[in-house]
Amino acid sequence: MKKRATIILWLALRNLRRQARRSLLTALSMITGAILLMFSLTFGDGSHEQLIEASVRMGSGHITVQMPEFHENRRIDERLSAEVRTEVERVLLGPEFTEHVTVVTPQFAIDGLASSSAGARPVRIIGVDPITESKFTLLDEKVIKGRYLEPQDEMSAYVGMALLGSLKLDIDSRFVLTAQDVEGEITSQLVRVVGVFRTGIPAVDESLIHIPLSTVSAWFQIGDDVTNLSVLLDSSMSAGPLVRMLKRELAVIELADLEVMDWRSANPQLASLLKIDDFGNYLFHGILFTIIALGIVNAVLISVLQRYREFGLLQALGLTPRQVGGLVLTEGFILTAVSTIVGIALGLFITWFFWGDGLDLSALFGDEEWEFSGVVMDPVLIPLFRPVRIIQGILFILTIGTLASLHPAYRASRIGMIEAMKFDR
Amino acid sequence: MNRVGVDHTDRTAVRTDKVWKTFSQTAEEVHAIRDLSLVIDRGEFVALAGPSGSGKTTLLNLMGGLTLPTSGAVWVAGRDLTQLSMAELARIRLTDVGFIFQAYNLLPVLTALENAEFPLLLRGIKKDEREQRVRKLFSRAGLAGLESRLPGKLSGGQQQRVAVIRAIVGEPSLVLADEPTANLDSSASDGLLEMMQEFNQEFKTTFIFATHDHRVMVRANRLIHLIDGSIEIDKQH
Repeated sequence: MKKRATIILWLALRNLRRQARRSLLTALSMITGAILLMFSLTFGDGSHEQLIEASVRMGSGHITVQMPEFHENRRIDERLSAEVRTEVERVLLGPEFTEHVTVVTPQFAIDGLASSSAGARPVRIIGVDPITESKFTLLDEKVIKGRYLEPQDEMSAYVGMALLGSLKLDIDSRFVLTAQDVEGEITSQLVRVVGVFRTGIPAVDESLIHIPLSTVSAWFQIGDDVTNLSVLLDSSMSAGPLVRMLKRELAVIELADLEVMDWRSANPQLASLLKIDDFGNYLFHGILFTIIALGIVNAVLISVLQRYREFGLLQALGLTPRQVGGLVLTEGFILTAVSTIVGIALGLFITWFFWGDGLDLSALFGDEEWEFSGVVMDPVLIPLFRPVRIIQGILFILTIGTLASLHPAYRASRIGMIEAMKFDR
Repeated sequence: MNRVGVDHTDRTAVRTDKVWKTFSQTAEEVHAIRDLSLVIDRGEFVALAGPSGSGKTTLLNLMGGLTLPTSGAVWVAGRDLTQLSMAELARIRLTDVGFIFQAYNLLPVLTALENAEFPLLLRGIKKDEREQRVRKLFSRAGLAGLESRLPGKLSGGQQQRVAVIRAIVGEPSLVLADEPTANLDSSASDGLLEMMQEFNQEFKTTFIFATHDHRVMVRANRLIHLIDGSIEIDKQH
């Protein structure tokens, strides 16, 4: 049996070589498909990761730890006490987390009002640690005037361009922040503008303000309490497993009632958007490879029909119909396997060129912002290489190519020797 | 007592018992072979003659296990082909039957030597032995030096000689040849027939020809004349 399989493989290779032009053309369609697949997968994954990164670094991280009610009502009495915060930070410093955790930053988020002589605007005030926050947020890179917060800052504010305009402020201008304290009383805090940012997202530019955590602490008399701890990871893929691990660890130290959310839960719109985009990509790949598969079916089937007599002869010489079908299937599989390897390698090689500098699509959109689900996307796409995606791509093309050879193989196995070998021909 | 499906007559190369082969063509049934019983012994050199449509080719197909009878039995190498599975039939074709076709039918991707040794390859015979046996036959057939040529680079006569070597290299008990000389000139035909006659005498291989060629009929030691799927004349020379 093994011997017969070797003979079939040998014959298949000879046949592919004999029909070199047809083999090459069929292979080229698969190679092109594989290149497009790799291009699409790596840039798709890369753009998703960029979107996620932009989202989490403008918001509450890949993982956020907070009191269960805080996400809904954003009341500051639903906050993490200094003791709880310390415990959670200690857990996150554990060796099983440090491999993936880039930075943990404490935040104190509260909704309030910003007012100046020009008027008042509703705002979201976030008290931050300037040192850890500058490693976490992308906001410091969006500065257009002044600077981001620094450790020595007191009563300083980093505000959006639109808010600056609507309150008619400028660098060094003073304005008042008003919010409810822990007792429910309205309290105010005077702050001074040290920097102005522009993200391109109107909702953010009109309402977000960063102030030092020390200022918030003094304002609300809350010591080292925070509303949430935001965690930035090396990759969005690490979020799911780390959330599960963190919940287990917190349960051990009797902090199971804390809410540990990954970026999907914190930003369900973005998660849905990525799912829809993935679906669109899969649909595109499906259509692309259906067309390629039809090309393979056509090429292999023509080859079978042209070799009608040959398949009859092989049966007359002692091959079984199944082995004749196996020969056609082997030819299809070899062609697919070689094309897949070449196509994937070429696809990765071509994509690799964009790995450093990325693929700059800004010319396509001009000055328009690429905003998706409240996140501004960088127009320079960086491909992301994930081994699992490469394996998926290889298996996908191999499956399609082999399936496309099934029908011609079946036809070859059904060829009657009499019809094929008619002696009177 | 004989086992079902096994013929213990050692002298018999092929036997047909009350064989009918009927083809359905739309509403009409065509009887290509009608109640045909025949015994051909080992070592015979038989010519099946008759007009086109008399059933010569169908009878060869039945004897080679390329098709099965509508009714009756066909015995080859002591086994009733109608009782065998597809795989067993393939095995019989590999080990006990050699085929020679009018249109040569060599595998175009294989060299002359590879074509000739193909049955031995399928039977798992080692490379050295395969080559030794084929080269010896090539030499006898005047094909020495052409071993590495592809079929497309050989003349019709040379291709048919390779096909004959392929048919006999595995030393089957039965070689079935359909109009093997039809595409050859008289010189090539004579050479080919002479070669087959030598193999017949040397290896006691049974040769059965379906033919219109007078030269084949003259060389045959038995002539079976078919008309409308039945034997009209069966005579020894």
